[in-house]
Amino acid sequence: MEKGVRRWLVDTSKWNPAPHDFSSALSVLPQHERSSITRFLRMEDRKQALVSRLLQYALIHEVLGIPYNEIVINRTFEGKPYLECSHVDAGFPNFNFNVSHDGDYVAIASEPLCLVGVDVVCCIKPLKESVPEFIENFSSYFSSLEWDNIINTGTSDEILADFYRYWCLKEAFVKAVGSGLAYGVDKIEFHHTNWTNISAKVDGEPLTEWRFWLLELPERHWVAVARGHPRFATESYKRTISKAEFDVEDYHKGLNLPNVAFVTRIIEQVIPVSHGEEKQPEQDLLHLSSREA
Amino acid sequence: MAASTNSLISMQSRSGMAASRICSLKPVSLSNQGRSFLSFGFRSMPARSLRVSCAAKPETVEKVCEIVKKQLALAEGTPVNGESKFSALGADSLDTVEIVMGLEEAFGISVEEESAQSIATVQDAADLIEKLVEKKD
Repeated sequence: MEKGVRRWLVDTSKWNPAPHDFSSALSVLPQHERSSITRFLRMEDRKQALVSRLLQYALIHEVLGIPYNEIVINRTFEGKPYLECSHVDAGFPNFNFNVSHDGDYVAIASEPLCLVGVDVVCCIKPLKESVPEFIENFSSYFSSLEWDNIINTGTSDEILADFYRYWCLKEAFVKAVGSGLAYGVDKIEFHHTNWTNISAKVDGEPLTEWRFWLLELPERHWVAVARGHPRFATESYKRTISKAEFDVEDYHKGLNLPNVAFVTRIIEQVIPVSHGEEKQPEQDLLHLSSREA
Repeated sequence: MAASTNSLISMQSRSGMAASRICSLKPVSLSNQGRSFLSFGFRSMPARSLRVSCAAKPETVEKVCEIVKKQLALAEGTPVNGESKFSALGADSLDTVEIVMGLEEAFGISVEEESAQSIATVQDAADLIEKLVEKKD
């Protein structure tokens, strides 16, 4: 089952394709995916969207061994991608994945049994307002405990960093369950010891069937991963899940799998050379250690 | 803006004059046409029936476009109109929250989370705004 746990990252600031290279990478994807990329107005958004899709196909191909042209990825009503007709492997009762991008990074995470959500944030200073003014816009999305922690942190840089770290964790949870945009972000409250031993409560009840991790990346980026029980999935996402109920022992097998370190992939490893083949992943660059902020 | 004006007119005629349109059809197929028209309407717009009842004025759509362009720091000349989808403009969850707040401030309204969820395009936002402004007055 461990083989179903993946954490990959791509630094897209290192990829600046000429239009021809962009088109040829795009042509690797099935037709319906291409229009969902080209509909983005800004080139930067198109690039992120393309890398995000490529990572999904590459990961599914590598983990499940499905040929590229047989991979069908659909989206729920809220927009969460999932693998259609997932070949239910005895080893992977609920293979599922999630992607996120912000700033320079696109991240993907997969799990064989538990739901997984991932969120990347790039901590950029607000341009037209002060830090307190900026974060005030979002105060209703935090519990009073979290809010007190944020505003009492210290300098405005530290306040902003804490704000983004909480937001990142909340988003990872919301995305794991398949909710749209930030809906439900205000319902979850995070507890941590200097951003390690992260746990959460919903309506005062601890989420014992969930695990959370937060990693610092270069250039003021953070990535959060949430892993949890399939019964928390939204209705529409639940329909894509093979097994929502588990007995405690079986569930814990999935919950307690190691949270592997993020592996950095370069874009060339993620674009198949020709249909059904891609460069071998021996060229993995560095393994980012689980340096927690 | 021409696009949104056209849709404004067609929406008004659909809701206000549906009866007369149905009456102009042959009696034999009348009930069928009526039923399929209504069910098509409901099926295609499950969470947005408000679009049929009141489409926003072009000025509202324009104001929403301005707020969105500012929030997303879009380059001058980037085409934003009623049909623009927030997601296609590159808005992430933080952007969306700020856009909704910007709209609340600009129009003096308060948007419920559930309503905000169903906003996909600039037009959707403008329609909701006008509905809320109307309720206020």
